[in-house]
Amino acid sequence: MRAMPAVPACATSWRQVPTGDDVVAVAERAALGTTARVAVWPPERLLVACTAVDQVLAALDQQASRFRADSELSWLHGAGGGMFMLSNGLAEAVGVALAAARWTWGCADPTVGNALISLGYDRDFAAIDQQRDEPPAQPAPAPGWQLVRLDGPLLRLPPGVRLDLGATAKGVGSDRAVRAVMSAAGHAGGVLVSLGGDIAVAGTPPHDGWPVTVAEGPDQAGSPGSQLVRLPGGAVATSSVTCRRWRRGGTMLHHIVDPRTGRPADGPWRTVSVAAATCADANAAATAAIVAGRQAVPWLTREGLPARLVGHDGEIRCLGGWPTAGGRPIPVPPGSHVYAEGRAPGGSR
Amino acid sequence: MGADHGYPDGRVPLRELGDSDPGVRARRDSIRKARRMSNWTAAALIVGSGAAAVALAHQSFPAAAPAAGTASQAGGAGIPAGTTGASPRGAGGPSVTHSVATTTASGVTITTTTRTVNGKTVVTQVRHAPAYADN
Repeated sequence: MRAMPAVPACATSWRQVPTGDDVVAVAERAALGTTARVAVWPPERLLVACTAVDQVLAALDQQASRFRADSELSWLHGAGGGMFMLSNGLAEAVGVALAAARWTWGCADPTVGNALISLGYDRDFAAIDQQRDEPPAQPAPAPGWQLVRLDGPLLRLPPGVRLDLGATAKGVGSDRAVRAVMSAAGHAGGVLVSLGGDIAVAGTPPHDGWPVTVAEGPDQAGSPGSQLVRLPGGAVATSSVTCRRWRRGGTMLHHIVDPRTGRPADGPWRTVSVAAATCADANAAATAAIVAGRQAVPWLTREGLPARLVGHDGEIRCLGGWPTAGGRPIPVPPGSHVYAEGRAPGGSR
Repeated sequence: MGADHGYPDGRVPLRELGDSDPGVRARRDSIRKARRMSNWTAAALIVGSGAAAVALAHQSFPAAAPAAGTASQAGGAGIPAGTTGASPRGAGGPSVTHSVATTTASGVTITTTTRTVNGKTVVTQVRHAPAYADN
């Protein structure tokens, strides 16, 4: 039995995770207000992988965090609107968010920043007071992604519009991270990166694909409603109203906002998992499906996306070839709807 | 070549132009001949290349059935264009039986930071709360 490689010395915040297979190495750490996980083969590449992921996450946080006062996004918001020359990384992230909004008919709209603040999600989720007696502020419907203009790195943001890239940013991060790992590893072996459950893979997958559990919550991997699937390529992401919830004045709120109303989405699905060519596509589609409600089924079907939708009553509906039996591969379709050129680019950090 | 052979707006299909000119007709005939010849040449090349490829493939890979249970057999899963350095599905990868990650709603993770402020060690711990209690 091969010895598991040591936790990278230069990335001490990573914690090695034993999985029962010694042909892959897995490590995880806190990142972006949630958990980042890396799995690589051959396992000797764990150090390289963690270092590459660290760099991607640091850059993404600096670019797109809504909660860091020194982030590029906070700088835009602080300026109160106008024309801005963005870094390549933030320009890519905003471009993906706007393309996702167009693709999802506005269901995944990045202009929900003020809506989330009015609901009380105005700081890192871990720092939110989860239960308060006073009701939430008046809902603030999203002004609409069409008001935001992006031409290359040049952004026009109307005064008062706040962006929240939550529907796509973790997906963008996973896409960037797997590319960065493969580049650092000389394009040998394979890698899986999960940011808060939004998973991208690259390189050569394990036989039959990466084994991935589908669950509603981070602590429900072994629960009866969970499922083991295999991801041979691309990405899978899950959005759910069962996590990141808080209470205001007796009303339970959650973080997936319907841009049209400014209120938490209240459709028939509590959790949606979607597989797509890139994690940003999967992330956007899963969030949009929660918002779209019943319209999600014909939309996901038309887009040919494998999806698993869990209703509030616990009933599970599988679409687009999502395996109904455990342990089967997901038929991930090719092509991206949110990246320019239809595929994830070479990497903007 | 009456107007009734053309489009309603008076345009005429290209193939009907030049029929009355013997020079044009001769030129067109010779073009047809050349095209026919090149078609046969292309067909011969395609057949030859195919035969060569088959012969090479047989030399390179001794007859062997694909490994049982590969992604292609099980579900027709494709490698998407968006992946980096993707190789044919399952080819060359190790056998991994246990789940390595969970796709789920993003939970909240504890973060512990240790800083030295005015000579004192300050430990800040942000709570671990994946979901609200009534989930």
